[in-house]
Amino acid sequence: MPRRLWGLPAYYFGLLALLYLPLFVLLVFAFNDGTILAFPMRGFTLRWFEQLFATEALMRALRNSVAVAVGSGTIAVVLGACGAIAFVRFRFRGKGTFMTVALLPLYVPFVVVGVSLLLLFSVIGLPRSLLTIAAAHTVVSFPYALLILTARLVGFDPHLEEAAMSLGANYWETLRRVILPLIAPALLAAWLTAFTVSFDEFAIANLLAGAEPTLPVYLYSQLRMSARLPLVIAMAGLVMVLTLSIFFTLVWLRRFVFRVPAAGTVRAR
Amino acid sequence: MPGAESRRRLWALIAPPAFWLCAFLVVPLLLLSAYSFRAGMSGAFFRDWVPTLENYRILFATPSFFELLAVSVGIALVVALTATALAYPVAYYVVFRARARAGVFIVLLLIPFWISYLLRVMAWKLILGSSGVVNALFMSLGLIQEPISIFFYSRVAVVVTLIYVWTPFVTLPILATLYRIDRSVLEAAASLGATPAQRFWRVTFPLSRPGLIAAAVMVFIPTVGEYVTPLLVGGSTGAMYGNIIQDFFGRSANWPLGAALAVVMLAGTLLLVVATSRVSRVEQYIG
Amino acid sequence: MTARLRLTLLLLAVVGCGGEKRSTTRLTADATGTLTVLDWAGYEDTVMFATFRQKYPKVKVSVAFGESDPDIYAKMKANADACVFHFYTGWQNFYVTDGLVKELDTTRFANWSQVPERFKALGRVNGKQYYVPWDWGYTSILYRTDKVPGGIDSWNALFDPRFKGHISMWDDGPGAVTAVTYVKGWDETKLTPAQLAEIERMWTDQRKLNRFYWTGEPELVQGMASGEIWVAYAWQGAYNTLLGQRIPVAYAQPKEGRNSWVGLYGISPKCQSPELAEAFLDEKLTPKVGVNLIGAFAYGHVNPNAYAGVTDTNIVKALALRDPTALDRTRFTPIVSEQDRNNFGQLWARVKAAH
Repeated sequence: MPRRLWGLPAYYFGLLALLYLPLFVLLVFAFNDGTILAFPMRGFTLRWFEQLFATEALMRALRNSVAVAVGSGTIAVVLGACGAIAFVRFRFRGKGTFMTVALLPLYVPFVVVGVSLLLLFSVIGLPRSLLTIAAAHTVVSFPYALLILTARLVGFDPHLEEAAMSLGANYWETLRRVILPLIAPALLAAWLTAFTVSFDEFAIANLLAGAEPTLPVYLYSQLRMSARLPLVIAMAGLVMVLTLSIFFTLVWLRRFVFRVPAAGTVRAR
Repeated sequence: MPGAESRRRLWALIAPPAFWLCAFLVVPLLLLSAYSFRAGMSGAFFRDWVPTLENYRILFATPSFFELLAVSVGIALVVALTATALAYPVAYYVVFRARARAGVFIVLLLIPFWISYLLRVMAWKLILGSSGVVNALFMSLGLIQEPISIFFYSRVAVVVTLIYVWTPFVTLPILATLYRIDRSVLEAAASLGATPAQRFWRVTFPLSRPGLIAAAVMVFIPTVGEYVTPLLVGGSTGAMYGNIIQDFFGRSANWPLGAALAVVMLAGTLLLVVATSRVSRVEQYIG
Repeated sequence: MTARLRLTLLLLAVVGCGGEKRSTTRLTADATGTLTVLDWAGYEDTVMFATFRQKYPKVKVSVAFGESDPDIYAKMKANADACVFHFYTGWQNFYVTDGLVKELDTTRFANWSQVPERFKALGRVNGKQYYVPWDWGYTSILYRTDKVPGGIDSWNALFDPRFKGHISMWDDGPGAVTAVTYVKGWDETKLTPAQLAEIERMWTDQRKLNRFYWTGEPELVQGMASGEIWVAYAWQGAYNTLLGQRIPVAYAQPKEGRNSWVGLYGISPKCQSPELAEAFLDEKLTPKVGVNLIGAFAYGHVNPNAYAGVTDTNIVKALALRDPTALDRTRFTPIVSEQDRNNFGQLWARVKAAH
């Protein structure tokens, strides 16, 4: 390795340290026996972790977030699959328009998505709720799901469906029994992506939340309440474990099932 | 396949996503645009609507709103460029140097990203805030008498926080770009006598440039409309354009004016995307 | 008809009418149903309607939350499922103009007579009683006595360069406008464009002195307790909380006078169970609920009979409960017109956007 580039690993680990520093400090403060977010610490305690599970509002917010993320993730993947199959397997005019509209959510700032939906629900008289948040999250996750699934489908033999249908299956059966299982890892990857987008999303949820908060909305309200802050920090530690495991799955899928080439292999274009 | 049959299937597949996007994106945006021409909030939406340009008049008569939009665009630009620049060496390291452990390195980089964004930002308060670690340390060492307050509750704090939050995230598309570079070209360059520096600047970097632009755009767009970070760390002087929109839809209860502000920002953002899409296609670099 | 029958009928008629005049609701102890309420965080606790719960244990009270007056207004406009909603002075006319509140028949409220006239008056628009007043409080300058040894006697403290970097103002346009009108001695309902421009200039300059705008009392408490904030625009609830945390604070009596505000409840015309709503609000006026409210948030309750039951010395101090003239010396928030509200909101947006 050329001498000059020893700086590169140093840079990587330096950046990593900087990224982890606040988390480390947070975790230390999760054991702090005090409620004010100031240095120095006032003593060691585990009581925040104990209280964590006893705090009903916090647990409910967590359940709400999971529900919204599961719901919006699932719908986003279903819609993404429909769109991907249509886009890759069919020829039609207006493909460009379709793609433009489909990817539009990527280009609209979250605050605009949020306020426009706020307006929509207000005009049709639908009160804000977890459902309204989920609808918004689906819109925002859909492009990711579509892109992941399109990329996967492109690699497949276009005659697969024809072959299956010539053996007697109708189109929808073919989709269900041939195509979907083949893209199953991509479906899961898309679902996990959509789930994660929704789970930690705050900007839109803040605007569209009704009586029931999602976890980030709840956290935000608690960030301003000194008494509950360490509790919230303890929650962060636990959420870290949860999302870590989700992410490990995602990476594993990409590397081994999805077959993203490792560094050093040639990829034809 | 018979044409009609094929058409029917196509429609069956296209209809669900088309419906969802129309209902929850296109229609709301159209509503938003229409609402910006409304005079006030009283009365039912359709029945009592008298079209007016008043909100746009107010908007264009208020230079500070446009200045704030320009500042927000500027902040987004700085954040996008800085985050991309900071992320590039990391992505390069992972793709070209890390080999077998690449996966681990990526995950390590992304773990912080998966912690609640709000909490990570508040963690910086613990470090850089007036009563945070840094100030406590400096004061106890006698280096300063008063806590340094610029790190928190300022525009600087907003920019730094946004860079901090985006850098790990933007390594992903840069990684994807770098993965796609054909190694045989680099090998050919080496066999022709190019030094590592030359190989980088004349092969790797140019080939990765479209992907870099796409990555920067991916950071830029959400950041223009950002309002959460300024709420947390911006203080009185760090507000961004998104905060004004959110205020009009929230505490100031003037939705039509907020809608006008949102429409202006959206128009600007979309124009920008159209302009940069001539240079690179963002969607290639996701997934 | 016999004389006896006529007499009986007469008696029945009198008793019947008298029954209505006695203004009890027609509910009985096993009344059922759901009452939906749009309220602020903290008021969903059953102690805030304890006597209602006792009397009608089978009625389910379902509470949705609003975060601010504009938010509650927007939610009611957006057809929120709420029979009863809660907001604060300044917003009375908006609900009336939009037809979002129905006029009250105060004879149906048994506890109405216990409410002082000054509070009742705030619930009237165009001479008609639309709202039930419930909670009240002060706005003034809260400050750390150890950081500001000289004390504070004027609203001008919010603009004092001595406190640079340690001031916190509430994130609210109308509140900001009001504060300056106190300092300048102007009428906040009749501001000229020149005066508004001056107010905007003052607050734009003030940004250099202001650390952050607080949006909720806990944030403010956190800031003052940690010593980051020395001087703040605050309600008495924060004062009480900090006293409880033994932080050295004082709540100013500015020479221009403190501000005071009142929380009001209204009933939506779309309410399917108005008798439940009326009973709910009526029971909220009882001294027992009053003591609960005062004890929980250090907010005042409109029924003076509740004050004797408050023993916490900090709260008594914060609300000046033993001083019946305290409220006389304050300036109640007036009703704001829509034009003014929009102007104040835009002013505040310009202050935030200023370069």
